[in-house]
Order: sequence, then C-alpha cells, then structure tokens
Amino acid sequence: MSSSFPARPVRHAPAPGPAHGVTRRGILRSGLAGAGALLATGPLAGCASPASASGASDLSVWDLFQGGDGMLMDEMIDAVSAGPDGFSVDRTILDWGPSYYTKLAMSAAGGRASDVAVLHLSRLAGYAPGGLLDPFDLGLLAEFGVAEEDFTPAVWSRTQHAGTVYAIPLDVHPFIVFYDTEAADKAGLLDPDGALAPMGSPEALLDAGKALADATGQAGILFGHVTDTAQNWRQFAALYAQTGASFTLPDGGPPQIDVDAAVRVVDFMQQLFDGRTNPNNLDYNGAIANFAGGRGGMVMLGEWELPTLKKSGVPLGAAPFPQVFERPAVYTDSHSFVLPHQKNPDPDRRREAHRYIAQIVKQSLTWASAGHIPAYQPVLAEPEYAALKPQSSYADAGEVAVLDPPNWFVGAGSNFQNRMCQPLQAALLGNTSAEKAVRQMVREADSLLRQPNPVA
Amino acid sequence: MTTTAPIGAGVPAGTPSPGADSPGTPGRIRRTRPGNGLLFVLPFLTVFALFLVWPVVHGLWMSFTDTSLALRDTSFVGFDNYTEAFGDPDVWSSLGNTALFTALSSVPLVLVALAMALLVHSGLAGQWVWRLAFFAPYLLPVTVVTLIWTWLYQPDLGLGNQLLGRLGLEPVGWLADEAVAMWSVTAVTVWWTVGFNFLLYLAALQSLPTTYDEAAALDGAGAWRRLWSVTLPQLRRTTVLVAMLQVLASLKVFDQIYILTKGGPNGSTRPVLEYVYDVGFTGYRLGYASAVSYLFFALVIIVSIAQLRFFRKEG
Repeated sequence: MSSSFPARPVRHAPAPGPAHGVTRRGILRSGLAGAGALLATGPLAGCASPASASGASDLSVWDLFQGGDGMLMDEMIDAVSAGPDGFSVDRTILDWGPSYYTKLAMSAAGGRASDVAVLHLSRLAGYAPGGLLDPFDLGLLAEFGVAEEDFTPAVWSRTQHAGTVYAIPLDVHPFIVFYDTEAADKAGLLDPDGALAPMGSPEALLDAGKALADATGQAGILFGHVTDTAQNWRQFAALYAQTGASFTLPDGGPPQIDVDAAVRVVDFMQQLFDGRTNPNNLDYNGAIANFAGGRGGMVMLGEWELPTLKKSGVPLGAAPFPQVFERPAVYTDSHSFVLPHQKNPDPDRRREAHRYIAQIVKQSLTWASAGHIPAYQPVLAEPEYAALKPQSSYADAGEVAVLDPPNWFVGAGSNFQNRMCQPLQAALLGNTSAEKAVRQMVREADSLLRQPNPVA
Repeated sequence: MTTTAPIGAGVPAGTPSPGADSPGTPGRIRRTRPGNGLLFVLPFLTVFALFLVWPVVHGLWMSFTDTSLALRDTSFVGFDNYTEAFGDPDVWSSLGNTALFTALSSVPLVLVALAMALLVHSGLAGQWVWRLAFFAPYLLPVTVVTLIWTWLYQPDLGLGNQLLGRLGLEPVGWLADEAVAMWSVTAVTVWWTVGFNFLLYLAALQSLPTTYDEAAALDGAGAWRRLWSVTLPQLRRTTVLVAMLQVLASLKVFDQIYILTKGGPNGSTRPVLEYVYDVGFTGYRLGYASAVSYLFFALVIIVSIAQLRFFRKEG
C-alpha cells in the first residue's frame, strides 16, 4: 500500500560516527548475555511446571466451557485430580464457535493436538472421516468402568464413524422450554403435579401462547432468533423431526427433505411468532432479558441457560420441547470427549486419557447442576439427580434426541446452521413466505452438498 | 477495519543534510562498506519474508490445490478453484456487499471528517472537548463498539426503537431487515472510525499557512468563498490521502460485520472476506478460500491503481 504513494524526497540524516552510540562489540556482548539468560531460564522453567506422579507431563485438555460451565468443569477436574491416582491436568479453554473448531482441526492436522478435547457430537462427521480424531479403545474404557450400555442408543449411535467409536458423550443438551410457573398456572397450563401439561397439537401451543400472554399481560412465548446462527435451526429441526419426516444430506446431493412437512413446520413457526402474542423480532439476549424481566410467560432456549435464568428470580419451570406434531422429538447436541489426532501418541498417555475421560463422565452430577443432562446413564439413576429441579423434569429429552443430519459441513457453529437460519429468520420476520423459505433452505443445502468434500 | 497508520507521517521534512549529498565529506562514504547496513535490516527482512512474502507465495500455490484443513492428501487442481469461484453466486454477492459497504462508508467517512475538522478549526469554544469527543470512539476496540451498538439496535429493548416508539413510529429491524442492515453497519463504522480521518484533516488544517486566507479576507471574500477557493484546494493532498486510505480500509471490512450480523440477514451484509473465512476455516476448504482471496486481492490492486491514476490526473 505504501508504494502507491508518491515518495517524498527524504533527506539523509547524518550517519552516526563510530565513536558514539552502539558499537558492534556492544551488540555482540548484549546478544550473548541475552542468549545466556534464555539458556539459564530454560531448565528453571522446566522445574517450575508441576509434573504428575508418574513423572510424565500434565495431561493436556482442550474445551470450550466458559462462565458457569467452565467453573463446573474446574470443579470436576479438581475432583479427579485429588488423591494418589489423581491427574495433573493442563486445561485450555477456547472460545465457543467456529474459532474453537478451526483451532481443534488445525492442531489435529498438525498431529500435535492435546491429549483430550471436547467436541459437539454433531461435528463428528466433519472430524472423524478426515483423520482428525483417533479412535477410542473400548476395552481400555471398560477397564475403567465405562461401556456402551451406560449411554442411550440415540446418542451412542452418533459416536461412531465406519463402525469405530470416536467420541465419549459427556452430556445431552437439548433445546427446551423454560416457563414462569406462576404465569403458566394462571394460564391453566399445568398438570395436577404442577408441571407443564403436554400440548399434543399445534393449536394447543398457539392457544398456550395466547393464554400466557393474557396471564403476563405482556408476551406469551419468547424466542430470540434475529442475527443468530443457530436458534432458528434448532427450533425448526425439533419440530420437523416431530412430523416424522427425515432430513438427510447424502454426499453429492441432492438433499432429501420432505418439502411439505418443512413448509408445515415453518408455517406453524410463523403463526407462533406472528408478533401478536410476542415480539417476533428478538435477538438471543433480548429474549433472555425479556423473560428474566418478567415480560413473557415462556421462552424457547437451550437448557444451558438454566443458571442465568435461575438468577433472575422468575419462578422457573422447565420441560422438554413440547410435542405438537405426530411424535416426540427434541433437538439436541452433545458435548463429548474425543482424542484429537496425534502423530506419535505415547501409549501411557493414551491410557491416561482413557482413564481421565472415564473418571470425568462419572462426575456428571456436578455437570448436571448447570442444566445439562448427563449422558452417562448411571448418574441419572442416582437420587441426587432426581432431586435436581427443574433438571430432572426434562431428563427424558435424551431419549428422543434428534441431532443434525450427519455430514462434514453440519453441526454446532457450522456454516450449515447459519445458512439454514437465514431464510427461517426472513420467514419469521414476515419478509418471505414459508414456501420460499423452505425452497431457499433446500437450495442452500444442495449447494453445500455439491462442494468437493474436504474431509473425505 | 484496522486502519493503518498514516503513510508518510513521520518523515522528517526539514532535517539538515550534511550527510551523503554534502560535497565536503567524501571520506565518510568511502568508509561505509557495501552490505554494512544489511545487518540492521536483516531482522526486518527476515520477518517480512517469513510472515508476508512466504504466506503470499504459499497462498497463491494453495489456490491451485484442494488443500483442506483436515488431514488429507493435497492435490493440484489447476484453475478448478478459480472456475468454481467465478460461477459461485456467493462470491459475487459478497463482492457486491463489499463494494456497497465501501461506497456507503467512504463518502461520509471523508465528508463528515472534513466537516468536523472545519468545525473544530473554525474556533469552536472548548476545543479539546470536541477533539476528544470526535476522536474517542476510534480508541474503542471492535468488540466494545459492536456490543454497544448491538444493544442500541436491539429490536425490542434497544434505544433506537424505543426512541422511534416515543415518536409514534414503527420499530425498525436495524440488523434484521435486509434493506436496512447494511446502513446500520455503515453507521456504526462511521461513528467508530471517523475520528481518524478527522485527526488527519485537523492536522492538515492547522499546518496551512494563514496568509492566503488573510489576503482573501482583505480582498473582501466571505467565509464560504474562502472555504471553497482557498482552504479546500489547499487540503487536496490530504483529501487524496484520506480517500485512498479509506477506500482500502473499507474494502477490508470484516470484524464489525462479523460480530454484528454474522453476514446476515440472508447474506445481505456478508463481505467477501467473511466468505473467505466461512469457506476456508469453518468449511475447511483452504484451497478454494485462497482462490477467492486472490481474486479479491487482484480487485484491490486494480482499485488502488485506478485511484492513483485518477488522483494523479486530477493533480
């Protein structure tokens, strides 16, 4: 850029004489001193790092848990680090979203990734086929007390690529509804036990929205989706799966989508968020702020927002995403542990990594306090879990979990979710019809499928 | 949009020059062995070669391959990536968005900066307050700026729509409406970065000799006449500089749009650099992303040369 400007004649300043200023010998001397200092600090720094009992360096772990989740993960790591068999863990927390997945892929492509990392299960199809993940040794895991039977089939079936297991799920985190129990009671939506009664039809949910709006004197059902790259897709995917239609993305295209079912779903979403019983133009934070401020009876969010909403003081209930079409289905993803590819894995470290993951998933009760449903089923059976309210009221969501259709470009923080959200947003804002939005979704999916597959 | 430092700002103009071009001291030149200065520029050259020249060459090579972020063999695909890019509607729409943003933002960023500098220079009371107020937003990091504006633009609770509501007007989908979003992004950018151009103009205004202005005033020229015929012509060089820097900076837009709208709604604000990021990093296709970025690179060079020619001819 600088070369594009006409250079101004620069006059030369007088060259410094050899007598004053910096001499060559001086530079050499200070350079040597600097190098000496570096050499001296090297071994010292090595001493300072805490080594595990076996003498090996710390087990390196990457994850994307910040805020409340991050603190709970710290708690779980502390729990498995205690005692003579404790781990020495070097934890790296990275920002959620595309940046995390870019870094994880690059570190694995370089072959020098961390020993353990967290991956959304919906992302597996983009990682395992490309060789970015190393497979698990199920025998080794069984030795440490974790086996296939400990997980629900809906989730376990997604941990594999070509028959090999590449991920061990930590949780299931569904897209659910939170509601103001007082408003729901006033609107007559609760069953005798005080929980949200089943809906059963689209009309029932529309009526519930109106009743909640009357009860709060403000909005009925809140949903923040504007400029968001996932929310619309989560809601659409949940409702679409309830119609029983399938959404598959076979390599090379075309996408197999039941257009009629999709239009039916989008049409219903438009009715639900028509701007009358709710503001239909909220963004993610706006929806949370409105619900937390008592300006809405129900909000459709991921269960991970539980800690935030608990703090708001709203009398809080939670339930799986209401079934309004033919069969129950809840949109879900799952944080799972993976072994990012290492060029020369040390067998002892690999063993430690397996032992670590087994120990951490057994700590899932702590993890459940943030709202997540533990994937490790024995924890769900514990009385302490049943006592967790409102977590235990949506624990069944894991059984009807619907994840993204597997393909290399889908999953949490992906282009796919963003591109599906855009036409849906236009439809909810009333800028386009349900038919046009669905047609655009099919087109977008098709153009993604027609790209050369970079992980095959 | 990380605006670069003003070029040529630090060049000593009036340094006395007894050095090389002084005929009285030929001995000094002879004492300087060729290659002596190399040692001093070596660190720079190393960094320059390592972090600029090599990536540029390597990126060009990648654009002819199907390099992936995943572990996979890379093969040479010739011009396939370029052919695909030319036929990719997303490349064209994102290039169009970049061009639109550049057009929408560059004009106010030059004119508003000039207006603000003239106001301050005209002797407004409380000069430092104005200077601070006009320049302060530029000091904020992009995350802070976008956070503030995301709330201002918030459809339901945001100040923008609250004010419109008070006036009895309909709420506007600042970042949600395809027809409005690019204007909203432009407004943020102008608010955030105009301070830099303002400072360049102010510095130029303050260094103008006052004699012409006084002479014109004595001849009976009014304030507007003096502005048009005396001050603005003298600011020509600064305007050229500001306009060129601004167009280049606007073409490189990425971060504020990425945080504010993620390129939405419906891709209506997605600049080409975000598309490169999307396909290259979240989509793993580094080879294709390189090809798109080289197409854009070629375009930027063409624009720069065209601008330079245009301004030279004018001069």
